[in-house]
Parts: sequence; structure tokens; C-alpha cells
Amino acid sequence: MEPIINDFTINIATANGTGSQSANLILLQSLFEMGVPVSGKNLFPSNISGLPTWYIVRLSDQGYQAPGDRTHIQILVNPATWEEDLAALEPGSVVIWNSDTKKKTVEREDIISYPVPMSSLARKINPKIAKLVTNIIYVGVLAELLDIDQTCLESAVAKQFKGKETAIELNITALGLGRDYCKEHLTKEDPYGAEMRTIEKPQFFIEGNEAAALGAHYGGAQLLAWYPITPSSSLAENIINYIPRLRTDEDGNATCAVIQAEDELAAAGMVLGAGWAGGRGMTATSGPGISLMQEFIGLAYFAEIPSVFWDVTRVGPSTGLPTRTQQSDIAMLYEGSHGDTQHIVLMPGTVEECFEFGWRAFDYTERFQTPVFGMSDLDLGMNRWACEGFTYPDIPMDRGKVVREKDVFEAFETFGRYLDIDGDGIPYRTLPGSGMAPILYRGTGHNPMGVYSEKPEDYYNLMARLKMKINNARDELPAPILREEEECEVGIIFLGSMENSIQEIDDILEATGMKVSQCRVRALPFHSEVEEFIRRHEIVIVLEINRDGQLYGILRRELPNDVVTKVHSVAYSEGMPPRARIYAERILATLEEVKQ
Amino acid sequence: MSEKPARAIKLNVLNEPKDSYTGGPSSLCPGCGHDQISSVIINAAWENGIEPHRIAKMSGIGCSSKTPAYYLGQSHGFNTVHGRMPSVTTGAYAINKDLLYLGVSGDGDSASIGIGQLIHAIRRNMDMVYVLENNGVYGLTKGQYSATADVGSKKKKGAVNETQPIDLCAMAINLGCTFVARSFSGSKKQLTSLIKAAMSHKGFALIDVISPCVTFNNNDESMRSYGYVKENEITLHMADYIPHFNPMEEIEVPEGHFRDITLHDGSTIRLETISDEHDPADAMAALTALHDAETTKKHVTGLLYFDPTKPSLAEDLGLVDQALIDVPDEELRPSKASLDALNAEFLA
Repeated sequence: MEPIINDFTINIATANGTGSQSANLILLQSLFEMGVPVSGKNLFPSNISGLPTWYIVRLSDQGYQAPGDRTHIQILVNPATWEEDLAALEPGSVVIWNSDTKKKTVEREDIISYPVPMSSLARKINPKIAKLVTNIIYVGVLAELLDIDQTCLESAVAKQFKGKETAIELNITALGLGRDYCKEHLTKEDPYGAEMRTIEKPQFFIEGNEAAALGAHYGGAQLLAWYPITPSSSLAENIINYIPRLRTDEDGNATCAVIQAEDELAAAGMVLGAGWAGGRGMTATSGPGISLMQEFIGLAYFAEIPSVFWDVTRVGPSTGLPTRTQQSDIAMLYEGSHGDTQHIVLMPGTVEECFEFGWRAFDYTERFQTPVFGMSDLDLGMNRWACEGFTYPDIPMDRGKVVREKDVFEAFETFGRYLDIDGDGIPYRTLPGSGMAPILYRGTGHNPMGVYSEKPEDYYNLMARLKMKINNARDELPAPILREEEECEVGIIFLGSMENSIQEIDDILEATGMKVSQCRVRALPFHSEVEEFIRRHEIVIVLEINRDGQLYGILRRELPNDVVTKVHSVAYSEGMPPRARIYAERILATLEEVKQ
Repeated sequence: MSEKPARAIKLNVLNEPKDSYTGGPSSLCPGCGHDQISSVIINAAWENGIEPHRIAKMSGIGCSSKTPAYYLGQSHGFNTVHGRMPSVTTGAYAINKDLLYLGVSGDGDSASIGIGQLIHAIRRNMDMVYVLENNGVYGLTKGQYSATADVGSKKKKGAVNETQPIDLCAMAINLGCTFVARSFSGSKKQLTSLIKAAMSHKGFALIDVISPCVTFNNNDESMRSYGYVKENEITLHMADYIPHFNPMEEIEVPEGHFRDITLHDGSTIRLETISDEHDPADAMAALTALHDAETTKKHVTGLLYFDPTKPSLAEDLGLVDQALIDVPDEELRPSKASLDALNAEFLA
């Protein structure tokens, strides 16, 4: 039997609320500390306790971070999905199962079966918390079977329970019981193993939401107004958690206000109020929240109020699949609210970018005096990703064209809140309380002086200026990440968390003989390099995790006619983090269709 | 050129003339009670000696919400969206707590689409004056009933309102609002003193001002009959004709007494000023007064409830002493050393 090292997928089926998440994170962290390139995906239900949950751990020396195409090792702990999980396994798979589970057994001949009396072992430690300890037992069994390093395992436990000595001790004992049971009662029949790898650059694991929250603090966020919603709540909660450390003086007073709003409408209103008053306000929400905020988004665009909205997207429409991932809101964010609008959307694809766009969003919103969206998704926001560290902002905060001093104000020949003095579409503003050029801000039509107007030329000129302003932002926003082949054959345009699957997709495609270039779009409106990328390539696929090809739709509308025909959409969504083979096969099918 | 004899201009404590507190011309229907409220706001701010630029004028959408254009021309303002003025004000307040937030709203804003935001602003004891210009109708969309319209109110074209009204003062008292008053747009003296007091209050001050609509609030029946216009039948059938009225005469009702006031349309409204024996710290007494007024078809006015002891939102936010708007950028962005330390901890 040829050993298979660092190249397989483990699927852990448990019930929500049983403490399996801690056990799974210990497994993930210990492999990570061994230097094994590893990724973890939490597939959880919209429920607090009882419903099935799966955790997928993939080891990949090639660095592939998508969930694998198949499960190699299945942990069966949850009776509710037992038969289903078992039936889904390909022949030759491994099953580690809790043999104490009532009325459940494993009777497939074509798989490798390791029964472990997890509940009885757990009861030995503490019958009162046997259910909780059961989870750590399977990690102990896996550690023994895969040869996970004990030091790394213990370090992972210590990280998970930071300083809680009793918990650390209990978990290490339970891991030992699992290991010992494995040594004494099981004979290894499978080829899978984990091997230490040299760590070239030290890394750590962090969720995108925590990274974005830190970014917001390094952007000097002054107000977080939010309403809880999965999968964005942890972004807001991380902002709150870091206030004592990063934003509080010796007397315990903070420079960042937090208000949990009564709903998303109010959260958006507070963000606008903050921007209007001259501060840096933000909210974090998901698609349903953005739906509710549409009215204020239009006001922010039309009255030119700085405001930052983070949308950690989930599966829509409506309540949709609230704990599953999708690139669902690209179109809604780009054209949010009624009437003609166009918004700046930042689309990070890594945790480093979640941090960076976290602070840059404030610079863009104040500079362009328009709402700015950060768009992450459940996969990037709530799963843990490897990170080499965050880079401190290399430029001072850009507060935009705000007139704060009287002498500066008096130097203006004419001052109008919406007067385009510099010809770049961005007017100057004064702040409430300053006494300089006070106006009544409004969502109704207004002239360059900020006075109510229904005159056709005032409306037309205003809308034309707003369009120019956003258009001018294109090349100031984060440029796409290009990974190009000299041959310029097939180009793939994609965004966001697809970053974690793209290399594997690229490799599957190139295995068929074609050359594939990548262009990861990081902001809307599109950077001019995107069009150039398309022009250079023979055929271009726009790859995204939704049904309708939202990014493709925007691109198609904005591209000149002579290049539109080169561009084709591959959009697919089932709620799961993108598995490379599914998307690669769809790309191949589309390329085949186009050739005909 | 011969010098004109200097005319004595009355100045306030800041040596500012009242002109420094006025705004643009009103575009409301001539005679609208809202314009009287605007003039009271001008007076109150001037008499209180507040620097006009330190006031922020906030409003939602509707006839009442247009009025910030008609007063305090030296103040920044924000005519936001329908019913959502409280949230915008809350956000602005978090950034600049040193401004005086003066919100004007209507019953469409406050009793219907924005009732949730009003409730939560009260719940947070957000520092602001909230003047509710209450006329029982949607004026800008031409006369639909609002949620404060009395049962039995009858529209020009006949439909009778059968739905019971929401008494926003009673609601506010139940929510623990720290300043609750009711007044009437024609009661200039009472309203001025209430707005002045509200401006000095630390916390949420709700002033529900009965401000009958001269154009749409018409009722053939007892309380608000449409008698006046009825006699001029032509006007009734010309939907785009807005009769011009003179502003309501000033009304003063002594404490503990009531008076019947004749409105533009010939209807009457019975206003009672709450007795000087009423203890504004007694919420139960305030609710009883409101209830008694309702059962006897009166509107009780005056300061109904007042509690200066509750902490306002500023205290709950736990912020630095200076307004956040005045915190320099370098203090807003944490240091590089702090990020280096975080990176090191994550890697450890």
C-alpha cells in the first residue's frame, strides 16, 4: 500500500452545539503547526443546537484550499446523518465511527472501518460532559492514525483554550485516551498520513471577519452601528472586542462608538449620520441587511455622504441558506437603491486584503464622498485562513476634501457644497458645527449650491457629475491581481473567496493542455486593466459563485462592443464553498460550447 | 450721505440679532401651524443664546420635515428619509456630541413609518429635542389619515377614520422618555418655554405639538368640522385650490384651565393646560392626565413628564471627553507598534 501523505480530505459529521467546533479547530491548528498546508470549512446549520454540522479538513501539499472533491476519511458521530454520510463515501474510504451510537453500525465491505467506543472513553474522563469530550476523542484517534505530532497537538489545545488550565488538561487527557485506544485496539489499514513540512514563512490562522474588523480599527473607525446577522456578526463583535486594546485611553474611554441598532435601516441611518457629521462610520451586515438599507444607500450616493458598509454575503434570495456561502450581492451592491446609482465595491480575496480594505474603505469613502462597500462572504469571513501578518497602512488617513479652517474657507471665491471646483467631480464640504457654508442636506434634487432644485439642467448636471466622479475612481481602487501565461489563451476573471479554489481549477484546466491566465478583480467599478486583460486573451471566462453571473452582467454592459463577444459566464452556486472540479468542468463545458 | 438714525436692534446674550436665527421663506400652505412652530424655534434658540452654528437641524420627510429650511439658516441641517431622522441623528451625535440636535418630525414620520426609530431613540435617551408637528394627516400626499388621527375624523371626500389613534406622549412616558410635553402651534408662549426647556435638557425631549392642517384636516363632525370651507362650496370641488388662511391667533390657556379654540375650518379644539399642581416627576399622574383628557375630548398641554436623572446616550457610549470629531487622525489610528504586537501574538 502506497502511503498518501498530506493530500486527502477529512469530513467530520457531528451535531451542532456539541462542542465539535473546538475539537475540529484543534485538529486544524495542529496540522497547521506541523507545516502541513491545510484548510478547514465549517458547514453549519442555521441553528444553535442539534442540527447536523460538517467540518471539512483538507491537507494538500500543493496548497489547494478548496474543499476536496471527495472525502477520504469520514468521522461519524452524528446519528442523524449516519446513513447518508456513509452512503456518500467512495470505495476505499476510511470511516472512524462512534461504536457507542445506539442502533448504528457500519456494514460496508468496501471501506476501511475503525470502530471506536468514543462515548464510553469520554465517560471515563467525566460522565457529565461525555458528549463534549467525545469530540476530542476522535481527534486523538486521528492523531494516532495519521501520526500527528504530539507537541503540535498540545500547542493547538493551548491556543484553543488560552490559559484555561482545566480545559487544557482535560482535552490533553482525552486526546491521550483516543491515541491509546487506537494503539491498543486498531490496526492501521489505510494509506493516509500527515508529515511535518518546513515552514518557510511563519503564518497564523485567522478568519476574514476578524481581519476586516482589525482593518476597520486601523482605518480609525469612529462608529460601528450594526444589527446582528449571520455571517457578519463576528465582524462587528471583533470590532467591539478590540476596542479596549486598540481604541481606549488609560481612563477607559474609547475613540470608537458602538451602537447595536434596532434594525439594519437604523444601522445605515447611523452610519450616514456619522459621515454627515464628519466622522468615519461603518456597519457590517449581510445580503438581507443590505436589502433593508437600500433607501439610505441612495441618499448617501445622492447627497454624497461618506459611509462604509461591509456585506459578508450568504446564500439568497430572501432568508435563503443563511449559513451557506455565495457571491450573492455583487449586482445589488454595485447598483444599490432606486434610480441611477453606481457604487464603489471592494472585494477582498484573502484575509490580508480583508484587513487592508478594512482601512482603505474609509479613505475611499471620504475621498470620493460616496458610500463604499466591502464585500466578503461567509467562506472568507467565517472560516480560518493562513496569514503571514498584517501590513500597517503606508499612507496617512485620507479625509478627502473637507474644509475645516476659516482661512481656507475664505480663500474660496465661491463655495457650493456640490460645486465641482476642481473638475474631478468631487466637491468640497464643510461640517456641521463649523458655521461655514451651512446647508440643509437633502435627498431631493439640488443645485451646486445645495439648494433644492427641480430644474432639468441642475438634475442632469448633478447626475453626470456623480457618474464622472465614480468613473474617475476606477484606477484609484485596488487593481486586479493578474497571473498571466505568455500564451494568453484562456483568461479567467474571478473575485473574492474563489481565490482559494482558483489554482486547483487552473491546474485541472491546464492538465487538458490549455494555458490559463487569472485576473482576480478586487474592486468595482472595474479597473482599466481588466479590459486590457480581456483584450490580450483569446477567450475569457467570468467565474463566480452565484446563478446569474452578476459580475459578468456588469462587465458585459460596460465593455466596448468589440470585446464583449470574447467574454463568457460560468456561474454556479449550491451553497458550498467552491469545489475546484465542479467549476473546472463547467469551464471546460463552456469552452467546448463556444468552440462549436 | 446723511446717516440714518440707528434703530435699536434687540440682541441676545451673544449680541446676535434675531435675524441670525431665521431661515428661508416657507413654501407651506399659507396659515400653516408649522410656520408658527418655526417662528417659535427661532425665538427659543435666540432667547436661549445658542450659537446658531452649534445647532444641527434634523428632519425626516413630510410637510413638517421641510421646515428646517425656514429657520436657523446658519445651522447645518439634514432632511433625511421618511421616519429615519432619529437614526441619522444618533450617528451624527456619536461623532459630535457637542452640537444641539433639534429634530422636527411629523405624525407620518413618528407614528407610522418611523415609530420604531422614535422608540429606540427614546430608549437610548439620545440627547435631542424632538418637535413633533402633529396634524393627523399626510399633507404632502394630499390628506390621507395618519396614525394620530382621531376616530371619527372625516375627510373632504367622506371616508371616516375608524382606527384608534396612537398617543405618542403616552407611549413616550411608558417608554421612560425623560422629557415629554404637549403643546399647540398657536400657544406661542407655552411652546417657546417648552422648547427652551427642552434645549437645556440632557436626554431625549419629546414635544408633541398639535398643529392642525389648514388644508386637509377636515371633519364635519364635532371636534374638527369643516364648517368654514363648507360655506364656500366651490372650493370644496376644486382639489387644487388651497384656501389662504391667516395664521392662528396666539392662544394662552391658564394652568389648570381649558379653552375651546376655533380652527380655520370652523371646528373647535379644546385645549387644557395641565395644572401647576401636576408633578412632572409623576409618570402615573401624567398618564392619568392624558387619559382623562382623552375621555373628555380635550388635549392636555404642558410639561407632562420630566426625569433629569437618567444617563443620556453620551454617558452610555463610554467615549473620550472630547467629541470624536475633534480627535486627531493620529489618535484614531492605532500605532504601528500595536499592530506589530498583534502580528507577533498571532504568530506565537
